[in-house]
Amino acid sequence: MTRFSRRIFLVYLTEFVTVFLGIFGFRSSAKGASSGVYKGTPFIGKTRENPFQKFYINYWKPFLRVDGERWTLRVHGLCENPQTFSLSQLEAFPKKTQTSRLKCVECWSAKAEWTGFHFSELDQLTKPLPEAKGIVFRCADDYLEAGLREDFLQPRSLMVYAMNGKPLSDGHGFPLRVIMPFKYGYKNPKAILEIEYVKEPPYGTWSKIGPYSADGTILPGYDHPLDQGGKTRKIYGGEIPY
Amino acid sequence: MIEIPSGSFQAGDSENGALKTIELEQFFIDRFEITNQEFSSWAENHTFYPGAEAHPATQVTWQEANDYCIAQNKRLPSSNEWEKAARGLDGRVYPWGNKKLKKKAHPFHSGIVKRKVGLNKRDISYFGVRDMASSVWEWTATTRENQKIIRGGLWNLHLDYEYGKTFDVALASPERRFIFLGFRCAR
Repeated sequence: MTRFSRRIFLVYLTEFVTVFLGIFGFRSSAKGASSGVYKGTPFIGKTRENPFQKFYINYWKPFLRVDGERWTLRVHGLCENPQTFSLSQLEAFPKKTQTSRLKCVECWSAKAEWTGFHFSELDQLTKPLPEAKGIVFRCADDYLEAGLREDFLQPRSLMVYAMNGKPLSDGHGFPLRVIMPFKYGYKNPKAILEIEYVKEPPYGTWSKIGPYSADGTILPGYDHPLDQGGKTRKIYGGEIPY
Repeated sequence: MIEIPSGSFQAGDSENGALKTIELEQFFIDRFEITNQEFSSWAENHTFYPGAEAHPATQVTWQEANDYCIAQNKRLPSSNEWEKAARGLDGRVYPWGNKKLKKKAHPFHSGIVKRKVGLNKRDISYFGVRDMASSVWEWTATTRENQKIIRGGLWNLHLDYEYGKTFDVALASPERRFIFLGFRCAR
């Protein structure tokens, strides 16, 4: 079996296990996160059915819904001032709203208006050390994603708590998610519990076990915009501007 | 460098009958894309992973690519020059001819898998220029809609790729750096 076909096998095996565990009510909790933030109702976050047919969702594992009242964001690692933030503290940061398209590596895309704050707001308070080149996100569905801090500091990168004028739904990443419109969807983690500054970003969940690049930049290729009937079109790479 | 003789060639989408005849003066074009080793000898801040010295240099802005070429007493090729170097005088769809290669560049992966320039022995153009369909995209000197025309890379599908065709164009903002975008020079 070649290296790539082994990866494909692992991807399909993982999908099968995810669906199997979802059907039989498996309840996960993110490593290092307090189980106190979960509401207790299971949420299987992978569907293309109504109301998500115009904006698919895909979580790594089924998980218990996050309780926004008890949820906090822990920011730690290579920084001078590790801190924990409540949702209302994050909502008090200078607000940024942008319309951008989320492009999935599986070729579909969808557009929304996202509201949140720029990652630099966290930096100013936590003061990352000069050697902190990477950032790791740990999520409620046990998903881990990481990247270069310079990418999260790009003007179009956003930490998001609202979508189309409403708080994020569970499906789209309540209470906090990343939107980086120049990276594929798997680089835009949802339901974030914890952020860690690290020297170098490790492989994320998908790029570690599957054939998805660690970099995740949107490449020139094909797109099926769900909001435009899924009609096939070519895109030129980076953020899709239309 | 490879000499591209003066004269006309057929440019444009030959699959949709959009060919047009274009006349160009003689020019020369690099046989290979500029590598990390070459670019870093000029741009001290250009970084790359150990072992990637012979990979095409990417994450380079249009201005940096243009300045590098000028420093070598060269320039970036125009979009038409790039196309003539790739498809030659017989209007071919791919640098090597009109048929798709059976062997994929690197299927079952979502990202760029960069390789040593010239490694794909089949990706040789009419004039002998290498890697004009199966490697990274390349900056050209030509502007369209306030962006620069880029040429010659792969089109990504989920876990698969299509080879770029000789007449395919894409656009990129000149100030952007991309992991999939490099360049070669002309003179």
